[in-house]
Amino acid sequence: MSDVTNVEASSPVQAGEQAAKPQVAVMNLLAGEGPRADSPLAHAELGAIAKQSDAKGGVCLQELKLLGHLVLRGDPNNQSFVAGVTKVLGVALPAALKTEVIGELSVHWVSPDEWLLIMPAKQAFQLERELRAELTGHYAIVNVSGGQTVLRLTGPDVDKVLCKSTPYDVHERNFPVGKVVTSVFAKSQAVISRSGEEAWDLVVRRSFADYLWLWLQDASAEYGLQIKG
Amino acid sequence: MTQNNRLSSGGRIDRSQPLTFTFNGKQYQGFKGDTVASALLANGVDIVGRSFKYSRPRGVIAAGAEEPNAILQMGATEATQVPNVRATQQELFDGLVCQVTNGWPSAEFDVMGLVGKAGGSFMPPGFYYKTFMYPQSMWDTYEKCIRKAAGLGRSPRENDPDIYDHINQHVDVMIVGGGAAGLAAALSASRSGARVILADEQAELGGSLLHASESIDGRPASEWAAEVIAQLEACDNVQLLPRSTVNGYHDHNFLTIHQRCTDHLLDCAPIGQARQRMHRVRAKWVVLATGAHERPLVFANNDVPGCMLASAVTTYIKRYSVVPGERLVLMTTNDSAYQAAFDWAESGRFVVAIVDTRAHPGGDVIDEANRRGLKVIAGSAVIEVKGSKRVTGVSVSAINQLGDKALGPVKHLTCDTVASSGGWSPAVHLSCHTGSRPVWRDDVIGFVPGNSQQKQLTAGAINGTAALSTCLQEGFQAGREAAINAGFDTVPSISLPKVDERHIGAAMALFHIPHSKPTSRAPKQFVDFQTDVTAAGIEIATREGYESIEHVKRYTAMGFGTDQGKLGNINGMAIAAKSMNKTIPETGTTIFRPNYTPVTFGAVAGRHCGELFDPKRYSAMHSWHLKNGALFEDVGLWKRPWYFPQAGESMQESLNRECKAAREGVAILDASTLGKIDIQGKDAREFLGRIYTNAWAKLAIGKCRYGLMCGEDGMVFDDGVTACLADDHFVMTTTTGGAARVLEWLELYHQTEWPEMEVYFNTVTDQWSTMTISGPNSRKLLSELTGDIDLSRDAFKFMDWHEGTVAGVPARVFRISFTGELSFEVNVPANYGLYVWEKVFEHGAKYNLTPYGTETMHILRAEKGFIIAGQDTDGSVTPIDLGMDWCVSNQKPYSYIGKRGMNREDCLRKNRKQLVGLKTKRSDVVIPEGSQAVADPNEPVPMTMLGHITSSYYSACLGRSIAMGMIRDGFERMGQTVYYPQPDGSVIEAEICSPIFLDPKGERQNV
Repeated sequence: MSDVTNVEASSPVQAGEQAAKPQVAVMNLLAGEGPRADSPLAHAELGAIAKQSDAKGGVCLQELKLLGHLVLRGDPNNQSFVAGVTKVLGVALPAALKTEVIGELSVHWVSPDEWLLIMPAKQAFQLERELRAELTGHYAIVNVSGGQTVLRLTGPDVDKVLCKSTPYDVHERNFPVGKVVTSVFAKSQAVISRSGEEAWDLVVRRSFADYLWLWLQDASAEYGLQIKG
Repeated sequence: MTQNNRLSSGGRIDRSQPLTFTFNGKQYQGFKGDTVASALLANGVDIVGRSFKYSRPRGVIAAGAEEPNAILQMGATEATQVPNVRATQQELFDGLVCQVTNGWPSAEFDVMGLVGKAGGSFMPPGFYYKTFMYPQSMWDTYEKCIRKAAGLGRSPRENDPDIYDHINQHVDVMIVGGGAAGLAAALSASRSGARVILADEQAELGGSLLHASESIDGRPASEWAAEVIAQLEACDNVQLLPRSTVNGYHDHNFLTIHQRCTDHLLDCAPIGQARQRMHRVRAKWVVLATGAHERPLVFANNDVPGCMLASAVTTYIKRYSVVPGERLVLMTTNDSAYQAAFDWAESGRFVVAIVDTRAHPGGDVIDEANRRGLKVIAGSAVIEVKGSKRVTGVSVSAINQLGDKALGPVKHLTCDTVASSGGWSPAVHLSCHTGSRPVWRDDVIGFVPGNSQQKQLTAGAINGTAALSTCLQEGFQAGREAAINAGFDTVPSISLPKVDERHIGAAMALFHIPHSKPTSRAPKQFVDFQTDVTAAGIEIATREGYESIEHVKRYTAMGFGTDQGKLGNINGMAIAAKSMNKTIPETGTTIFRPNYTPVTFGAVAGRHCGELFDPKRYSAMHSWHLKNGALFEDVGLWKRPWYFPQAGESMQESLNRECKAAREGVAILDASTLGKIDIQGKDAREFLGRIYTNAWAKLAIGKCRYGLMCGEDGMVFDDGVTACLADDHFVMTTTTGGAARVLEWLELYHQTEWPEMEVYFNTVTDQWSTMTISGPNSRKLLSELTGDIDLSRDAFKFMDWHEGTVAGVPARVFRISFTGELSFEVNVPANYGLYVWEKVFEHGAKYNLTPYGTETMHILRAEKGFIIAGQDTDGSVTPIDLGMDWCVSNQKPYSYIGKRGMNREDCLRKNRKQLVGLKTKRSDVVIPEGSQAVADPNEPVPMTMLGHITSSYYSACLGRSIAMGMIRDGFERMGQTVYYPQPDGSVIEAEICSPIFLDPKGERQNV
């Protein structure tokens, strides 16, 4: 598994190409079958709560745990960067405030030079390698699969919970399906995306996950919170 | 328990739902739909409090937010106490418990009343300032007395059981006020499809339509209102918020609405429901339809219970079916107040007289009064009220046409209620919150909203509009315009309903009713009831030279109460203007500021309290720390293990054990909270060279280096180890508390100063779990967990890093040391952090692997003289001051941040404070951190201070206390003695030494 230090260092640079390959240390951060992986909310034992939770809640919460998360940085005005990414992902990088979904991969715009790629954990290292093989010049990829998690909120009252939590306008006229923003969430932050009329995903930092879990339970209480394992 | 003043039919109360409540310990009954005030009036309760300064008995004056007297302490239990509740706004519920706020010890008999009765001369305006301000040292004592006697309510001594929350809202059109104009605006805005919120402070939407005498389209106005409300309720795009006071109108059309969700139901909110909710609304356009407040007239003894606003009399009769007396005298300067007399008469009670200050009142109401056979006394005024706990009669005199002289003769009329009306003051409060000043209009006899920088429209009585039809028209127009301005093209216009209304005659501009004696000699004529400001007091203020209305306000305390002077301010300004021979617009108003009515602390805090007050950040291993008895320390938002006490251990014993384990065996620290920043790009190395003070050009792949970061001023602000992962790839560590600041610092310089540099920074703090395994047995232990990393001394040197697996998990292992021992820092993806930590302990048992926390970490590093940025530095310390010149490179081709700063003359001078070690003469004494050093402990105060202690511990390994501290010219004073005087008078003697107490050659970490 240890694809040590500089897989890219020895990659040949094509003739005539100006931009060089960055010399970076790439490693597969996924262990084999043995070691146990704990999601940021493992201690909350959502699976156990799910079995006894209110099935009629206006809000349903599910942790989409242990997914692969890659941060991609690059200049959207750099044609070769954009073309390279499009080639590997099979989809163009989403424009500002947009999410693209292709199969199991979702690509969220985060800032003018940043995207968040979320996919099954096992695909992360492969995707990083494919991107690095294709891209040249100035860009960065960082595997942050262990540093964050996805909370999926569904149900008719999710929008009200979001209103309690973020100053961003989540009304469908301002926040249609397919939109994404990174904004204040309670006293933390989240990458907030809308995947359906009543379906939202929050990408939250690991160390803040417990705080946000407490916050969401509290904010959802009046509508009834259902937990999905 | 009879409701003598309750009519047998009519009103908007529900007689089928009787409610019992307690006021001042006595039980009363009211009905669903009552306010506390209407229920008290129904029961004939005259006195609802005592006044602030003179402690005079006071009764209900108004029927809304402007009420100055009926300010109650509410709550059935200690935990549910709410101070300063306006009885006129609090809806009645079964079991409600309230009592008067002011009037200590009781409202009926009051010790302070003696002061009041003795006459005003003992307590002139400015009394509190003049009497209680000096001596300053006594202010705390005075304040307690004043607060208690003045009745500002009290907060509960137990935790509030209720929850309060916040909600963010975004709308196209925000309409404030649910009266005629507001409903009309909402109706027309809603037709466009715009997102609309209509908020109103009352329980029922409709405002004055609920008791209006006019008819709309041939039906009672209240029916029209009900129909419009039903239409609005059916609209998905409209949110109606009754019981919701728009208390603040802030810049950028941001409004705060205080919604009382369950205050009308129970003493305490039903479980799971928020008692109150703060709506934080961002609106594209705002329509203010806030209406107007009736002004009372200022006349002698106008505060005796039984004196009320004319419109309040109407409201109590028509909405609550309560007639607050038997015999009414109405005094008015205008037509609108006549309605009170008509309603009174229709209730079957006696109208003694309508006293109209106008010599020749016109208007339709005069005809109606005549038709009803009511006595109208024109060109006259009620110049004085008789009675103390209730009105017993009035003195009426003819007045001149200017209204500033009582002409006599004085006639006496017997009555128990005096209603007065000086006209209507538009409720301009919100329109002024964002800085706009109101504008006086002579035709309105009031201030109307001035020009606003906000996207704001106004409609209805706030504009000084009196006629219902015009209010409706302005509402329809404003709602439509707001929707169009907010970007909605198709806004159907609504045809105006037909309103049957009276012709209105001209009103008289009169505020202060003359008495036959001069103001200063006449009985008190109250302007501001809650703060006991009189017309005479305002005249004294202006005579004493307080000419600005802002100064008059502060001198007299006018408008200082919880009612913010809604009732009295305009009268006060008019009286100040008159006494200075100025016009009202020349005198102007004081500034209206948020909040419009008091807001509970609960609503301000929302859910950001208790467990949710601030985020708590946890590492992946936190559950293990909990299970193993760790005590925690807050570092930034992180909860870090502080130390791990075993049964029966004192803190020092735990620390001794943890320290010895790290020095003699093996110990482990959860270092996951340290900031970690991934740096990629071809200019990464150069960027590091500019950010850190030391050199980075030659750091080889596979190596780590410690770096110091300075601000532009050359002062140290963060430090940490950065590893070269590849030529274009580094990972930086920062202090736990400094992580976010350092990342911002890097971005700031990259984005503003050096955008041409090709480098990206990404936080990976949460991505990696970090465990520091330290001590002579650390290599042995770690070797059991990794097969692919050669840990031997030569293959894995100090300050190297290697990649491999630990417990089968991909890891980066750094051989760096903050303890001075052989030490390996293992970084694994955080999903595996707990797993690897557990595996380390499985193998560590035989080595007696000891977990340690931040306190032991501090001791171990202090033994080695390693600094902690933020503890041993305070923003005034250069690397040179720290004795860390080895960490500053002046050979770099490009400058670095802080170079110029630390080479300023002041930073280069001799005699700066420098970081040194300190050994106490008595080895068991630990100098308290922060202690100040002096050269001569007998020097008289103020002593010459040489510096202070920054870090101080008992070191079990050294068997003595150790300390680090700043000492002026410390590097030159090695071996000298300094003294640390303590607050208890003792003095600790210490010798200046090197801060490296242990292993100065660094041999322990190089094994």
